[in-house]
Parts: sequence; structure tokens; C-alpha cells
Amino acid sequence: MAPYLQRALAEMLLLAVPGGLLGTWIVLRRLAFFTHAVGTVAFPGLVLASAWGIAPQLAALASALGFGAAQERLTRGRRLAPDAATGLLLVGALAAGVVLASDVFASGAGVDRLLFGSLIGVSERDVWLTAVAAAAAVALDAALRRHWLAAGFEPGSARALGLRTAWADRLLLCGIAVAAVVALDAVGALLVGVVLVVPAATARLLTRRVGTLRLAAIGFAAAEGVAAVLVADALNVGAGPVAAVLAGTVFAAVAVATSARAVAA
Amino acid sequence: MTGVEVRDLGGGYAPGRDALRGVGFAAAPGAIVGVLGPNGGGKTTLFRALLGELPVRRGEIALPAPPAYVPQTDRARLDFPVSAFDVALMGAYARTPFWRRVARADRDAARAALARLGLAEQAEATFGALSGGQRQRVLIARALLQDAAVLLLDEPFGGVDAVSAARIEALLAELRAEGRTLFVATHDVRQARGWDQVLCLHGRQIAYGPPAAVLTAATLQATYGSELIVLEGGRTAVGVGHHEH
Repeated sequence: MAPYLQRALAEMLLLAVPGGLLGTWIVLRRLAFFTHAVGTVAFPGLVLASAWGIAPQLAALASALGFGAAQERLTRGRRLAPDAATGLLLVGALAAGVVLASDVFASGAGVDRLLFGSLIGVSERDVWLTAVAAAAAVALDAALRRHWLAAGFEPGSARALGLRTAWADRLLLCGIAVAAVVALDAVGALLVGVVLVVPAATARLLTRRVGTLRLAAIGFAAAEGVAAVLVADALNVGAGPVAAVLAGTVFAAVAVATSARAVAA
Repeated sequence: MTGVEVRDLGGGYAPGRDALRGVGFAAAPGAIVGVLGPNGGGKTTLFRALLGELPVRRGEIALPAPPAYVPQTDRARLDFPVSAFDVALMGAYARTPFWRRVARADRDAARAALARLGLAEQAEATFGALSGGQRQRVLIARALLQDAAVLLLDEPFGGVDAVSAARIEALLAELRAEGRTLFVATHDVRQARGWDQVLCLHGRQIAYGPPAAVLTAATLQATYGSELIVLEGGRTAVGVGHHEH
């Protein structure tokens, strides 16, 4: 097997860990839009990084942190709803990225890779970074899942239960940002949801407990990721779009099957 | 156990405007305090203050220990993949180190708490699939696991079936007998007559004391204002609008 293919497979299998674990909380805590946005806002940062020769992950992380700070500032005092602020920043980042890529740096073909990911582009360093992010996701989930569960189920009582959930929630957002950043190279800035949202959303249709939801989400993310790499390699297309089509198809099939079962029952 | 004492309490979330003011009372251990007032009158705000979550600008609160809180059931997400047992177990999260499973003693306590509320057979049922009254009982079981000396119950009888109401009523009596102090927000004036103390709120404290002394037509009029309906023969009823969140 070609080394680039091995790296791509390792990358997808490692991404399945934060994809499944954090994806579970993204789905349960209704953070899918935030997740999509935190990937997309990296786009202008990635254009600058490739033009200036900075590590793309660094630029993406800086964009994600800037997004978090801007989001906090815009929604403070409740003058703007959080999802409206997210939408605003998302559009702004996409526009800034397009202007930078086409008019300032004339990046051309590089933009495709940044937005939709690339198989050949996955370096050994990317795989190591993803491994670190996967380990961090396991640690975060182990330490904070009870906080995330209690706060998500019924936020009003979290403090009365003796839980400091504000910090736990901030760390969840940071964890999602890091997971989005390491997913960028394989699936692209616009498609991080393919790994972080869709597998867990699919697993949610099939499971009735958080424990099984997490395991099933990891399973879906791993299987869809591996299949996407193999299909993308055979057809010589981007792994991100293939993964998106695959994951979307699996979700649709499971949704149809479970609703048919519900009707029959 | 010592009781709960509040002196000249005032505070609120909005800067410069108090949602609640002039609240002062003392509740002994082993007492049920009915908290009455119109929607927006400050019942939940008082609970937030007792939980230490309300910006308090004046006064003092003395509690024997942090209270447990039972929210209204409509605050909980029904689409969450958790069982009744999972929810009851949340009451033990604070004393569980993150690297451990919840202790066997606490898991036993969660089952016992559900059984005490007549939900032994529903322990594995998904929370969202239970009836409103059963959900309310699960949230009470969660509070029981905290083993708190003071319990705050936010309209536990609201929208609850007769079986659940009877179970909850019986449990409140048991908890009182154990020497706990209970604060129960309610719209049911007749029910409050059976409890030890009544606190009437309408942005400020209207009255506090034994039901016989407090629940007069004049006090109820001052508490509920236009929401009070006077029936034939001088009896009163409270008309309460839909609860908006």
C-alpha cells in the first residue's frame, strides 16, 4: 500500500475518535452549527498560512480562537442570538477567505484543497497531531462527560448539583475547535462536520443511551472514513467530498430504516 | 440540623433593578414552607438566591448546607438519551471523582430513591418517554441522592397526575419527619394550608407565617392582585396564566 494511502487511512481512523466522542456531545448539545462554523472560519487563516509559509494548523487554531472571542463579544448582553452571531462570522470568514485567495494571493488550485481536503496532502506530522487530538478528546470526555451530560440535560440545576459546568462547557468548545483544526487537512474547512457531526447524528438514530451512542459514533466515523479513503483513491477525487456523500447516504439509509421500523411497530 | 434564615434580602439579574426585595424569614428544621405568588412574582428568583446563583445586593442568607433543587419538569430536555436511573444518579456526580464509576452505594441509593417514589419498574425507561408526573418524581429522586438538609421544589405539583401528586405529597411528609427543611413553590392555596409556614411573594415579601395567620383574603389579594378570583361565599381561587419561559 502506498505510504500516502497508509497515512490517509491512519488519519481517518484517528479522526474517528474525537469525531465519535466529541460528535456525541456536538449532537446532544446542539453544537453542529458551531462546529461547522469553527471549521469554516479557518479558511482565511489557511490562505494566509499557505501564502506566508506558516503551519496551517497554527493559523486554523488562531482563527478558531478569534472566532470564539468574537462570538463571545457579539452575544454578550444578549443583543444578538448566538446562532445569528455564528452565521454572521461564518459568512464574514468565508468572504474574507475568498477575497484573500483570489484577489490578494491568487492561490488558485490551493483553495480547493483547503476547503475540501486532500488525501495526498496528509503528512506524517498531520497524523501525529491528530493522534494527540484523539488522546486529548479521550481525556476530556473521561474527565467532563458527567458535567456535559448534566448541563445538557437540564442546565438550571447544574450548580445545585455541585457541578461547575461553565468551565466544562468552555473546554468542550475548545475541544471541538481543536478537533476541527486537525480534521481540516483530510476533509477540508467546509466539511469538518462530515467527521464531527454526521457519524454521531447517524448513531443517535439507533441508540437510546449515551454510552452506546459514543461507541456507535466512533464506529460509523471509522468505517465511513476508511471507505471514503479507498473510494477517493480509486476514483482519484478528494476524500472530504467522498466522505460527505458516503456519510450522508448512510445517515439517510438509517433514517429511512428506523422510521420504517417505527411505523411498523 | 439548623434551619434557614434570611434577612432583608434584595437582588436580581438586571443591573440596578431588584427582582426580589425585602425578604426575611426563619424556617426551622422539619418544616414545609409553601412559597406562593403569581408567575414572575419571585418564587424561582428566591430559590436562585438560596442556591447562591442570584446577584444578591442586600441582606443575608444563612443555610445549614447547600440546598438541593428540583426544577420544573419542562426545563429538562426530553430528547436526551438518558434513563430515569441515569437522571437520579446525577445527584451523586458531585461526590464522584471523574476517573471512577459512580460508587455502588450511590447506584443502590439511586434505585432506592426511585423505588421510594414508586418508580422501581421505570428505572430503565428513557426519561423523555415517562409521563409528566413520573418525570417530576425522577427529578425529585435526583435531589434525594444529594441528601441535602434543605430542598427547594419549584412547582412540583404543576401538571402532575393524581398518583404522582399523592406520592410526592407523602414523600414531602417523610422528608419533613426526617428533619429537613422544604420550600415548595405552588399555586395551590388549599394545599399550602396543610403545611407549616407560608411565604407570599410579589416582587417583595407580602407575608410570612403559619397558614392560618397568612392565608387571609387581604394577603392573597396583595399577593396575586388581578389574578385572584373571589368565588361565591368569600372563597378565593387563583387564576394563573400560561407559564412562559
